[in-house]
Amino acid sequence: MTALIEARDLTKKYGTHVALDRANFSVQAGRIVGLIGPNGAGKTSALRAILGLTAYEGHLQVLGREPMRQRTELMQDTSFIADVAVLPAWLRVDHAIDFVAGVHPRFRRDRATSLLAKTQITGKRRMRELSKGMKTQVHLALTMAIDAKLMVLDEPTLGLDILARSAFYDALVNDYMDETRTILITTHQVEEVENLLTDVLFINKGRIVLDSSLDDVATRYAAVAVAGDRLDAARAEKPFYERRMLGKVVLYYEQPDLQKLAGLGEVRTPSVADLFVAKLSGGAE
Amino acid sequence: MNTMVWLVRREFWENRAIWMIPAVIGGFMILAALFGNIEQLTIPSQFPSRAVGEIFMAAVGVTFFAVMTIYSTWYLLECLYADRKDRSVLFWKSLPISDAMTVISKLATGLIVLPVVYFIAADVTTLIMAFILSVRAGSTVGAVLWQADLWLQLQVLWVYLIVATAVWYLPVAGYLLVVSAWAKRAVMLWLILPPIALLLAEKWFLGTHVIAGQLGERLWGVGKAFNVDPGEGSWVTTAVDNNTIRTPVDVWSFLNVSGFLSSLDTWIGLAVGIALIGCAIQLRMRRAEI
Repeated sequence: MTALIEARDLTKKYGTHVALDRANFSVQAGRIVGLIGPNGAGKTSALRAILGLTAYEGHLQVLGREPMRQRTELMQDTSFIADVAVLPAWLRVDHAIDFVAGVHPRFRRDRATSLLAKTQITGKRRMRELSKGMKTQVHLALTMAIDAKLMVLDEPTLGLDILARSAFYDALVNDYMDETRTILITTHQVEEVENLLTDVLFINKGRIVLDSSLDDVATRYAAVAVAGDRLDAARAEKPFYERRMLGKVVLYYEQPDLQKLAGLGEVRTPSVADLFVAKLSGGAE
Repeated sequence: MNTMVWLVRREFWENRAIWMIPAVIGGFMILAALFGNIEQLTIPSQFPSRAVGEIFMAAVGVTFFAVMTIYSTWYLLECLYADRKDRSVLFWKSLPISDAMTVISKLATGLIVLPVVYFIAADVTTLIMAFILSVRAGSTVGAVLWQADLWLQLQVLWVYLIVATAVWYLPVAGYLLVVSAWAKRAVMLWLILPPIALLLAEKWFLGTHVIAGQLGERLWGVGKAFNVDPGEGSWVTTAVDNNTIRTPVDVWSFLNVSGFLSSLDTWIGLAVGIALIGCAIQLRMRRAEI
């Protein structure tokens, strides 16, 4: 099966600054992929390249198209929120719906209006009159009403309160996601999306440091919390990262010998957030 | 085509000044007609009524057109910059609309839609003013101010003016769009400084004024689309006291279609304009955010 997104040696330079440094990754159809990295790691550059918003070097195909040259065709099948709160201040909610319905062949107006009906937002209001959270809700309603094969979300819930965030992710998984769709999402709130992701892409300093399904993460990585007296034995098993927590030391292993580890302490699969910290702090190269 | 209609409609939503400015101008003119002092509005009997009618209607139209020119310049300069500044470009670019379509929708709004809106406003204002003044000052004044055949001829003039200025000023509009798609801040400076820098560089290094001449010719040369002096046979000359008033016989003698189309400058301008618009589209593709 061919990948929905295929990037080989994807490079993006801003003057002398290299934002993406020969990054290689692919995204398969039907997955929910989290693109996770610290600030300045190249997340936004990668998304901008995928969405045809910026020129790049290297090979990149999204839905079989070259994003920069074929952005218009690509946007028939792709929806995105590249950063929140970018709906213009002068735009009225009902006009926004009219406009997208007018220009987008895959926009389902009824879905947008029913999503908005669940909020306090009325049609005649302009974006400048809405709170940041409400603006985001409008944007999400517009985006989720597009029958897209690929949805790209860059920090989609920034500025939303906890209730709205959880409502958004529920809607995304229950009402939107199905086997025909693929979602690529970046967020700083890793814990929040951990349960819905099927795959993770860790990016650091412009390079992909981990490209894995969460199922594989469970078999490939292990974390063991070890008491001080067993630390030397645990270190002998070559952990790639360790951190001190509440008097114990948690050690992280790749391709571990689980039987040996079990004798040292409590073995568990690291959470995405923990693995992220471990991978990026522990000299993942 | 459908997408283009939505894009132009979008411009009306964003720029409410498109219809508010002509509405305000028309409103002031109508208020003046309603409450202004009409004692002075006695038309000397020796004035040909045709000339007075022409001057009245043309004055209303020209006032609207002058304001439109200023607004249109500002609009074209701002249109591709504003949505990059507020980052809403990221929303517009999430829709399946090509950058060429977007740029052309702005160009069409600035060069065609705006003048059409202003001339409709001018027509409506002329009608209402003529009606009010004929009620207030009597039917003789009304008959002078409202002459249907003159009005129809002026419509021909306005349509020709819209087309001729759109063609002639295409390179200017193209340059405004390039600046609008390019500048990261201070569009005004980017508008003014490059031509001035070129002018000065030419003057210092070559001691010539070719660029200044070309620029002046482009800004004022649209006159070649009209017969400013159509020749004796095409003027009606009326003696008023010691002076004479000359007015064109009809609108046709005032239009210089063949002169406009046969001028090399017209076609060079068109080519430069198309090239600049191509540049603006390329910049729009590459420069999403500020």
